[in-house]
Amino acid sequence: MKGIAKGLGVTLKNLTRKKVTYAYPDEPIEMPDRFRGVQHFIPEKCIVCNQCAVVCPTQCISLTGKPNPDPTKKVKLIDTFDINFEICILCDLCTEVCPTEAIVMTHNFELASYSRDELFMDKEWLQANNKKVRKENLVKPSRVKKGVK
Amino acid sequence: MARTEELLLNVGPQHPSTHGVFRLIVKLDGEVITHAEPVMGYLHRGTEKLAEELTYTQIIPYTDRMDYVSAMTNNYILCHAVETMMGIEVPERAEYLRVIAMELQRIASHLVWWGTYLLDIGAMSPFLYAFREREMIINLFNELCGARLTYFYMRVGGVKWDAPEGWLDKVRNFIPYMREKLEEYDQLVSGNEIFLSRVKGIGKYDAETAIAYGLSGANLRCTGVKRDLRKDQPYSIYDRFTFDVPVREEGDCYARYLIRMEEMRQSLNILEQALEQMPDDGDIMAKIPRVIRPPEGEAYVGIESPRGEIGCYLISRNKPQPYRLKFRRPSFFNLQILPELLKGESMTNLIAILGGIDIVVGEVDC
Amino acid sequence: MSDVNQESTERLDEQARLEICVRILEEEVSKQAVEHAEINPLSLSMPTLIISKQHWYRCAEVLKNHEQLNLTYLRSMAGADLETHMEVIYHVTCIERNTDYCFKVKTDRDTPSVPSVTSIWPAANWNEREIYDLLGIQFPGHPNLKRIMMPDDWEGHPLRKDYEPLDPEV
Repeated sequence: MKGIAKGLGVTLKNLTRKKVTYAYPDEPIEMPDRFRGVQHFIPEKCIVCNQCAVVCPTQCISLTGKPNPDPTKKVKLIDTFDINFEICILCDLCTEVCPTEAIVMTHNFELASYSRDELFMDKEWLQANNKKVRKENLVKPSRVKKGVK
Repeated sequence: MARTEELLLNVGPQHPSTHGVFRLIVKLDGEVITHAEPVMGYLHRGTEKLAEELTYTQIIPYTDRMDYVSAMTNNYILCHAVETMMGIEVPERAEYLRVIAMELQRIASHLVWWGTYLLDIGAMSPFLYAFREREMIINLFNELCGARLTYFYMRVGGVKWDAPEGWLDKVRNFIPYMREKLEEYDQLVSGNEIFLSRVKGIGKYDAETAIAYGLSGANLRCTGVKRDLRKDQPYSIYDRFTFDVPVREEGDCYARYLIRMEEMRQSLNILEQALEQMPDDGDIMAKIPRVIRPPEGEAYVGIESPRGEIGCYLISRNKPQPYRLKFRRPSFFNLQILPELLKGESMTNLIAILGGIDIVVGEVDC
Repeated sequence: MSDVNQESTERLDEQARLEICVRILEEEVSKQAVEHAEINPLSLSMPTLIISKQHWYRCAEVLKNHEQLNLTYLRSMAGADLETHMEVIYHVTCIERNTDYCFKVKTDRDTPSVPSVTSIWPAANWNEREIYDLLGIQFPGHPNLKRIMMPDDWEGHPLRKDYEPLDPEV
């Protein structure tokens, strides 16, 4: 019985401890800056290089471009940009390869919905998802400057 | 004389003690198990097949999802295999960050095991204590790499992020806190008579059986075999730390329990030394080519994950995608001994034995 | 195994270990047992031997029981479809001396089959089932060779290079 009594002592000691739980979802949780949540997309910055769609491990990004109305500029403009959050694993690779930071991570993670169709997000939705955008996006570890090997 | 008819009992696939979707078909004679057959594959996602069409960087987030309780070591094994083949030297600071991440992960993983194991055999409160401390480690990881479970922290040649400001100090402060808590855990559970009667002498096997079944980790070390790849085949920078490999002779569930408790303490020792030795700054990424192509050939490397030896066998054809990628998952090997252990045991011990092996079904099925 | 003997084997480098292993297999099993032997520099200098299929079971017995090898621990087992042929790859370890070897057994692609070593290393049991399931290699002598990962009524073996998924969307 000694062991049980000792254990009860620990329990009693813990009764007076401060609470460590929080009242989510009544109180929102603050995520640290590096948190990888649902992406925010900035169409003006996008150069339709298609790198994000290529690097995505689950092929959840699909995009199309349209020719630039200004004939002096070669850069295409983005036409459609969709992410399928049914299969997106929020791995951060799309934001890592984006050369213009047109796609960045935010701290939003609440995606639960009643229908799978609601998880298919288009350009407008992603553009409007502009709250709590991650500040630090510049780190690109897989990059090596040309000539250095 | 009273006779009992053979009873066929299905445990799972949805059973809280299997920690995932895993099914056991048990044949019972009264209270005694006469035959047990594990059925798995419910969580099989074909990681090895998927990997054949992905580049090495793209595979790393998939490894996160194999052993989701210990994603850092999974990240490492793939990076380590590619680095071994390509002969990449990882910068010092990155190595230290990796070791710190992996050892924190080992503690977090053992805490999950400790909490859920006791929950399985009927003790509710330790689970809450364990998850309180685990939450602190997960918060640390969240600050480091922006995710709570699927970290995707390591890359071929280094790590993605350097430690954020003040992060290393938080780890430093966590060590004495955790030491104190481990004392508390011992007081709470390790001497508890009810607990002892549930685990002492249960699920016993000897060293020869353990080796024959290819067990690793605490499941092997509980039989007196001192095999820890961190010591026996040092990878990364583990040869720079002094730590003990806890070994016990009994080979029962209680021995495995004590080994895992001690391993957490040893991990804290490694963390302390790593923080001490760590260079103040430096690269976190080696210079690697833009497209990772290991040379033609093959390699097998193994490391010590919280559950045992996780290995990676890689055949490369000098392409950005692996030709064949095979993971040696410790849970898959460790689980094989289960039917053998259950034979002749009482039904009440089923959960105690299954929990003592410490499996993660995502890894068994891969 | 005496201590002195253990000491002396510990100091051997990979090349010497490889040569000893080849010699033992040739003496104990057959001159034709070892088809090829080399050091794999990519895999931490692992001694790698290709064993002929018809001698494999006997070789496995010798590997486990010969006192100079004592390879009791099956570390990893993998199957691979190399398009020209199929291979089963075994990584076996001696726990006491901490020495690793890699053994490969080749088999043809149309009716792939490799003798089962479950009776020698029980750890091979589920691994052989997994390889059968994903690559379709038969293991004669296995006590219970049936699918382990895929559903029992699944058609085809997914890790074969000629595998075509029924529904390309899935």
